[in-house]
Amino acid sequence: MEIGGWDIAAAFAKAVTYAATFGAAGAVFFLLYCRTLLRDRQRTLVRRLIGMLVGVAAAAGILRILLLAGSMSGEFVGMFDGTVTSMILGAGEGRATGLRMAGLALMLFAFSTNPVLSRSAILGAIAASVSFAWVGHIHGLVPNTAATLLLCLHLLCAAFWLGALPPLLIIAAGANVSQIAAAAARFGKLALRVVALLLAAGASLLLMLIGHAAQFWASDYGQMMAIKLLAVAALLGAAAWNKLYLTPRLLRGDARAAQLFRRSVLAEMGVGALILLTTAALTTLTGPP
Amino acid sequence: MLKNALFALAVCGIVAAGPCMAHAKLQSSSPANNAHLTEAPKTLTLNFSEAAKLAMLKLVRDGKEISVPLDKDAKAGQSFTLTLPLLAPGNYTVQWAAVAADDGHVTKGSFAFSIA
Repeated sequence: MEIGGWDIAAAFAKAVTYAATFGAAGAVFFLLYCRTLLRDRQRTLVRRLIGMLVGVAAAAGILRILLLAGSMSGEFVGMFDGTVTSMILGAGEGRATGLRMAGLALMLFAFSTNPVLSRSAILGAIAASVSFAWVGHIHGLVPNTAATLLLCLHLLCAAFWLGALPPLLIIAAGANVSQIAAAAARFGKLALRVVALLLAAGASLLLMLIGHAAQFWASDYGQMMAIKLLAVAALLGAAAWNKLYLTPRLLRGDARAAQLFRRSVLAEMGVGALILLTTAALTTLTGPP
Repeated sequence: MLKNALFALAVCGIVAAGPCMAHAKLQSSSPANNAHLTEAPKTLTLNFSEAAKLAMLKLVRDGKEISVPLDKDAKAGQSFTLTLPLLAPGNYTVQWAAVAADDGHVTKGSFAFSIA
């Protein structure tokens, strides 16, 4: 495919949509899972973060569709061509965007003081996270039911992991060592299982898409996938360092470990952003050979 | 239990999945890419690797766009034939964009032909 500025802008908008959606959903999961470990001020900050990310995810999602429409003609007015926009929305993107918007709206219940309404934000987090499975390369597989279910699982795990990083940073930025240790230990306990599921689902999906191995890895798609896998390996390394080296030291009250934990979470966020950018490029600019 | 279910799902998916037909690629066209014609074609045909909707088609000669009617509301298909106006001798470029019917991906491309 011929790639131009419009396509790169659309891929970037998709990466922002991924990051903001996973960030908001992961913060909702974190709020529910680590609620008792958070102070009132931290809970307020996490809720504000959810509100901000919901807005960014909705705006980036809409902008991406307009950019895709504009990319076809290569002209600014093309962004507002109703027929082309409906064509894009009609080919699966409409279902995915509709589900994501509904999920993002539900996530705003995280602000509610009513415990039942507040917990319903979790449904929104699930819906918004899995919305990306309603469009994309796996729909070119026949049959694709197993692939869709595995992708939903992969997306939920990615949201749980990557979306927990900003709330962890909020805790790490202002709390004492014992609170950081408690949050790191609690998150790390579940994260271990979640990461295992994420990798298992991701590896299965990759095997389904590979087809002819030599042809796959020689293609643009295969090479971009290799970059993504390297970034995932780096993220796993950082997560393992957090769990196996830093968390035990935090639990012993080591103040230096708290400082290292902050840096490590920041580094994980950076690598996570690279993974999402690569995924957006994979799903926008190229396709399996 | 969950582990077994996930394993079964993954195995079924990997075993059952056929080749992934993602993205509508232009397989052939008439006139073909780089074709040198002695007389003006009356129609333009694009054949894709999978069902798609043709969203944009521009026919350009010496930097000037020549209007070609395109029914954007037409159903998705693998082949599209468009009626061309009377074309004068010269070098032509066809730019197209399509949306894959199954996965919604946008693909674009161009090809050229000339009329002597």
